[in-house]
Order: sequence, then structure tokens, then C-alpha cells
Amino acid sequence: MKRRLVILMAMLITCFISGCSSNGQSSSGDGVENIRLMVWAPSEDQSKDSGEWLRKCCEAFAEQHKEYNIHFIYGVADEATAASTVAQDPESSADVFMYANDNLTVLKDAKAAAKFGGIYEQEIVDTNSETIVNSLRSDGYLYGVPFTTNTWYMFYDKSVFSEDDIKNLDTMLERGVVSFPFTNSWYLPSFYVGNGCTLFEDGTVEEAGVDFAGEKAEAVTDYLIDLMANPNFVVDADGSGMAGLRDGSIQAIFTGSWDAGSIKEILGDNMGVAALPMYTLNGEEKQMLSYAGSKAIGVNATSKHMVAAIQLAIYLGSAEAQRLHYELRNVVPCNTELLMDETIASDMLVTAQNDTFNRTSILQPFVSAMSNCWTPVENMGKGIRNKTVTHENAKEQTQAMNDAMNSSGI
Amino acid sequence: MGNGKQTSARKKRIINDTIVHIVLAILAIIWVFPIVWVVLTSFRAEKGSYVSTFLPQGYTIDNYTRLFTDTTILNFPKMFGNTLFIAICSCLLSTFYVLAVSYCLSRLRFKMRKPYMNLAMVLGLFPGFMSMVAVYFILKALGLSEGGLIRLALILCYSGGAGLGFQIAKGFFDTIPVAIDEAALIDGCTRWQIFWKITLPLSKPMVVYTILTAFIGPWVDFIFAKVICRANADYYTVAIGLWRMLEKEYIDSWYTCFAAGAVLISIPIAALFLFLQRYYVDGMSGAVKG
Repeated sequence: MKRRLVILMAMLITCFISGCSSNGQSSSGDGVENIRLMVWAPSEDQSKDSGEWLRKCCEAFAEQHKEYNIHFIYGVADEATAASTVAQDPESSADVFMYANDNLTVLKDAKAAAKFGGIYEQEIVDTNSETIVNSLRSDGYLYGVPFTTNTWYMFYDKSVFSEDDIKNLDTMLERGVVSFPFTNSWYLPSFYVGNGCTLFEDGTVEEAGVDFAGEKAEAVTDYLIDLMANPNFVVDADGSGMAGLRDGSIQAIFTGSWDAGSIKEILGDNMGVAALPMYTLNGEEKQMLSYAGSKAIGVNATSKHMVAAIQLAIYLGSAEAQRLHYELRNVVPCNTELLMDETIASDMLVTAQNDTFNRTSILQPFVSAMSNCWTPVENMGKGIRNKTVTHENAKEQTQAMNDAMNSSGI
Repeated sequence: MGNGKQTSARKKRIINDTIVHIVLAILAIIWVFPIVWVVLTSFRAEKGSYVSTFLPQGYTIDNYTRLFTDTTILNFPKMFGNTLFIAICSCLLSTFYVLAVSYCLSRLRFKMRKPYMNLAMVLGLFPGFMSMVAVYFILKALGLSEGGLIRLALILCYSGGAGLGFQIAKGFFDTIPVAIDEAALIDGCTRWQIFWKITLPLSKPMVVYTILTAFIGPWVDFIFAKVICRANADYYTVAIGLWRMLEKEYIDSWYTCFAAGAVLISIPIAALFLFLQRYYVDGMSGAVKG
């Protein structure tokens, strides 16, 4: 009896297992291939209120490709978390998904990202700037179709700051109150990088390590201590910058396109957006440089319908889809042809974001060792805020930060 | 003279009481403070995640209505429904498992009893999410990781291991005199009847405790739900929904709704507790005369 039960159980389990892997393709007589494509995108791209960008694009794609009879399955995964969800189990993940380029290592480690080559690679290279294409390259291979840039810049009140004021942070501080996410390590390195500190040389050489040491870094630490003491400078943490903008106590903050809607609501026509300002270090003007990345459409390396998946990814990153994305959700496009379009080129947000990407940013390194670089910088920011880092110990503290960034902590 | 002593003793007591009550009041305020803050935030009219005042400048119930009407991006009613369904099912299952296992270990004598208890003890030392990846792949192999079966998968996850948490209930059953069982046996009861008709009615506080813990576990769990639901937004539970409201894209506009959601999820737990509280009286009274 018992043995029979065991056999029955085993049979049941095998049935289940074979059941899930038997969804292979079938083609009908007229050469049309029946395929099933799973697509993951953030929920805003699928919501009726924001125009169902994903569904519209997928249907347009199906319309263009009569050789397939596609059954789309939509799932929700935003760019920040999609890569780790795909890496968890590539085989039962989406064929096509959207991810932020700093997660590329996660995808590569899980062997989950398909490489784009041949005509597809050529098409991506032709329609995008070199910087953004490089943000998706690793070991010479291209891993996605970029559809927007991902970085932060400055939002300010035009009635307080003039076009000239916003060129320099120190001038701005004389005119009004500026808030900066001082304790957030995505933002704070901009001062150090601006004064010649480097991360993994150009961001790709892991062995080179981080250079946040020496006089150039100490000078920045000293500058930051003085900046913190300025009564017109306020630390932005846990949304306090936005709250200050709302109640009028703050006139400029540093954030990205995700907050643009709320800021527009607060400042109305007085909203100004600009690339990062310079700051005056010992009498010399230095350009702040933010970390920049891209968001891209990736294809699952284990996809059963690779060609169709790659074609869909290319379509979702095409000028046509980017234009719709911009119209429906204000997603800043990156397609070079599209950026020449008059209505898009005249959009303040688009100009500022692309200006930041091209001029006042460095590509955020995505080598694995980058993961050691976040906490030490955050601690430096907190130390300066709490006044435990002072002019007296700035040298040792800067050196300690550099050492911590160069060690894995084990 | 005697009168004087009495007044001074009374005075002393009053002073003592006052000090104790002041300390208790301070502790109570500290303890209630965060809860009051969340409730206040849920009614706050100003947007944003950060405000410079403790008391909101304006009050509104829009945050609650938005949770239930603005469902295109974060479908809170659906998540609430999913969680409620999963929590109720796993609560019933795991309560039964826990009580049945405890009863067996308390009353029956069999060869594997001791080894089983030791094994359970050792397994209990490991945190449950250590098995998360393995559990995910087993569920996937069984075809439970997609579509409506995700709910079943979560119910299995939450209730499957419940039998290992028998210690407290077993301890309680051990205090019920075996003589009652023996009397019932003589009267012709089966083991099941003893469990169902005698032990359980005598253990109401224990049953209540088990139900409460069995409900709260799945109701607030985040890790398993996140790993198993993945991109299937239709089966998200409230824990995932609330977490998503705090992501950088949503936090500014959803923060007050997040507080409203936090208040709402405490309602079923509070209601369950209030309803079951009356059974917290001594279940043993009247059972054994003596």
C-alpha cells in the first residue's frame, strides 16, 4: 500500500514538472508561428490612467509582425527590481523586461541577459549616443536597448534664482535656500568626482579601484564642512527637501524626473530645471558631476522565442515607442533623432536631463566592487552633518573613506 | 499622634502613587506615540513624506478613498482581498496542525515521539526564510508559481511548517489532567472525540492564542510573498503593496495613503483579537472539581 502511494506521488510530481515545460511552440499551416511572449514593465506603463503604453506598443508590434501570432503575458516589475527578479529564476521570467543599467552585473552573473549583435546592435548604435550605448556594454557585448537616461539634476524656483545664479552653487546660496541630499551616497560623490576623484578609472576597470584620497579629496571634505555650516544650505533627507519646497522654506532641490510632476504642481510656471551647477573650491570653479545611468529593455537569455523577443525589445526602444512613452508618461527619450524633434527639444525637463547626462555626469560604474562604495560615502555625509568630521580630522576621515571604498569589508 | 502617623502614611502613598502614575503615563505616551502618528498621518491633507509639524495642518479622508479608488497603479483592494483570503485559509490550516500535533505529542506515546520533538527543536532554530529559494523551486516544479495557484502556494508556505511550532500548545495540554482523558476513554470516547470534545473546550485560551499567531504570520509576511509573487501583480499581498508605496517614484504622492493602508491592515487583527478576547478566561474553571 505504502509503496503504491509513493509511486503514485512520484508520478504526480513528474506530471506536474513535465506539465510546466511542455508549452512549446506550434505553428499553424499558413506559416504563422504561434508564440507566447512574457513582458514585464512598471505598473504605470500598464495602467489605464497613464495610457497603457505597454499594451499599445505590443499590439503595434504584433500588427507589424504578421509572421507571428503572439500571445502576450504582462507582468509588473519596475526597472529597479526587475533584474534581481529575473536573476532569481531566469527560466520562468519574462522574455522581455526593463531594467536599470546598474543592475547589469546581476543579470550577467545569472546569465540571464541576452546579447544584442549584428543588425540589431547596429540599429541601437545608430540611434543612440555613444555614452548611453556604453552604459549597456560589458566586456564588449551589448545587453539591451536603451530607452531613457537615469540621473539627477537641479530643480529651482525661477523667481528666486536667475539664469546666471544657477551656474554656481555658492552664488545660489547667497540668493536663497538650497537643499541637497547630503547623506545619500548617490548624490554626495558629485563634489568629489568634480574635483578629479575617480572610480575604477573610467568606471570599467575594477582592478584600478577608487581614488577618493589625497589633497583633491581633502579639499572637497573641507569645502563640504563649510557648506554644511552655511545657514542657507539644508540637508535633504526623507523627503524634507520636497516638503520645504512645498512650504516655501527651500528654493532649490536636487532630484530626478520622478519628482518632476510634484514639483511642477508646487512651483507652477516658476519651475526651473537645469544641469548641475559648479562650486567654488579655493577660488576655482569646479563642475559637480552626478552618477548617470540608463534604463534599457533587456531580453531573457533563456527565452524560447529569441528572435521575436529581440525584435520586440528593439521596437519598445524605438523612436516610435519612445515618443509614445514621452507623450503618455513624460519619460525622457534618448533616441538621437527624436531629440531633434522640436516639441521634445523645447521641453525643459528633457533638455536638463540630457544636458546633465552629456555634460555634468559620469557613467555610474557597474563593476561589482562598486557595491563597497555606497556606505563609506554615506557615512562621510552623516559625519559632516553630525559635526564629527571637522577641519581638524578631515584628512584622516577622507583617507578612511577611501580605504573603506577600496575594501570589501571582509 | 497616631492620627499624625496615619496622615503621613497616606501622604506617602499618594506621593508614591503619583510618581508611579507619572512614570506609567510617560511610558504609555512613548508607546502610543508612533501609533497616533501613523493614524494622524493617514488623515493628513498635506502631501509628501516629510512635514515639519507633528500635527497635520489639515485633515481629510481622501487618503482612504484614494486607496480604494485609485487602483490602476497599486490595486490596494485586491491586495487586501488576497491577503485576507490567504491569511484566513492558512490560519485555519495551521491552527489545526499546531493543535493536532501538540495533542498527539502530549497524550500519545509512540517510538518517534522524542526524536521528533528534538528534530523540531533543531529545525526551529533556523530562520524560515533560509529555505526560501528551495521552497520557490519546489513550488515551481509543482507548477504552483504562476496564476491563481500562487495563492495556494502561499497558503501552503505559511501553514506547511506550522506543526513544528507545537511547544507552547503542548505545554498547555500537559497541564490538563490525564484523568479526564481516562474517564472519557472508559466512557467510550475515541482519541479524536477526546481531542475535539474535551481537550479543545478546556483549552480555549490556547486555541485563541494559536489562532491569533497563525493569522498574524501570513497577514504581515513580506519575504515569502515577494519571492513567490514575483511579477504577478494580481496576487500581490498588502505587505508588498505597502512596500511599493515607499519606492522613490511613489513615495511623495503615496506616503499618506501608505499610512492609511497601515491603519487598515491593523483592523482585521484588532477585530479578531477583540472577538476572541472573551475566551481568554480560564478554560479550566469547572472542569475539575476539587
